[in-house]
Amino acid sequence: MKIHIFYCSNCLDTDALRKQLEINGNGQGDHQIQTVSLPCSGKVNLLYLLKAFEKGSDGVLLVTCEHGECKFLEGNLRARKRAKAVESMLEEAGLGKGRMIVVRKSEEGIGQITAALEQLTDNILQDTERSQE
Amino acid sequence: MIVAERKTIPELVDILEGHKKILVLGCGTCVTVCLAGGEREVSIISSALRIASRAKNLSFEIEELTIERQCDNVFIEEAAKAVERNDVVLSLGCGAGVQAIAERYLEKPVYAGLNTAFIGILEERGIWAEKCAACGACVLDQYGGICPITRCAKHMLNGPCGGSREDRCEVRPDRPCGWQLIYQRLKGIGQLDRLKRIVPPKNWAPSLGGGCRVIVREDHRI
Repeated sequence: MKIHIFYCSNCLDTDALRKQLEINGNGQGDHQIQTVSLPCSGKVNLLYLLKAFEKGSDGVLLVTCEHGECKFLEGNLRARKRAKAVESMLEEAGLGKGRMIVVRKSEEGIGQITAALEQLTDNILQDTERSQE
Repeated sequence: MIVAERKTIPELVDILEGHKKILVLGCGTCVTVCLAGGEREVSIISSALRIASRAKNLSFEIEELTIERQCDNVFIEEAAKAVERNDVVLSLGCGAGVQAIAERYLEKPVYAGLNTAFIGILEERGIWAEKCAACGACVLDQYGGICPITRCAKHMLNGPCGGSREDRCEVRPDRPCGWQLIYQRLKGIGQLDRLKRIVPPKNWAPSLGGGCRVIVREDHRI
């Protein structure tokens, strides 16, 4: 399963993320995970996310700051709306729901990302099964 | 500017099904400004079509190109080689752009990827509103620069309908009453007297009554 994680570098540390996900620098592990660091989640646009899917990603996780904690004030709000627009386009394009997940990174720590990743992989599996029925 | 919005991906797939090599052609003018058919939207729609093609086993091969203006032959020429390389053109121009491309490249099917909506302006970020119906007989001079045809849901020419609540239109409560705006504007510029004149029924002949409208300027024809 190929997954992209786009994340705001102000709320998530790349090394900590990779360590937690138990992947090495090449993004190899149980799943093929590619991490994309952003200066702010608001830097993400529809094309970044769609291109990930176009190039074969099965799901995308977007990690933003907690509400009210964006260094650029509203980047996380914009990111969430863009992700919603992408999810809608993916559905139009024939991919099922749940392949685009937005996580607001809270103080709960990086475990939150792992949980979201599990949710994402479950969604992808369910969607794949549905489409094969 | 002309304001448009994209057709849905299923609509586009339905239009393009059966074709293989597709040129998605953007326009760098009005539809770029209204975020419907510019270079970025060409990439977004192409990307979504590629995803749809893979999901539905359609084998689309999509090329992307954006020219400065689809409604002008000078710029249309820039697309000639790309049009030649592909089986069909999905134009992300307005209705005029789509037809200009179709008239220039007679041998290629040209499809509209957008729904051309209206002539309007950006009111605030992400919100475009209609301002002009291109009726062919402008009355803005009589109403303080606020068009009763587009801004009033009932196209009233002799005062408000009386159905507005506060300053909201009774047909579309999310919009201000056009006549409220006209009154405030005329009051602000000291022209309230204009409202005392009875305006006769509007002549709609210059609008869509006589088929395709054409303007001929003989002084520019030689």
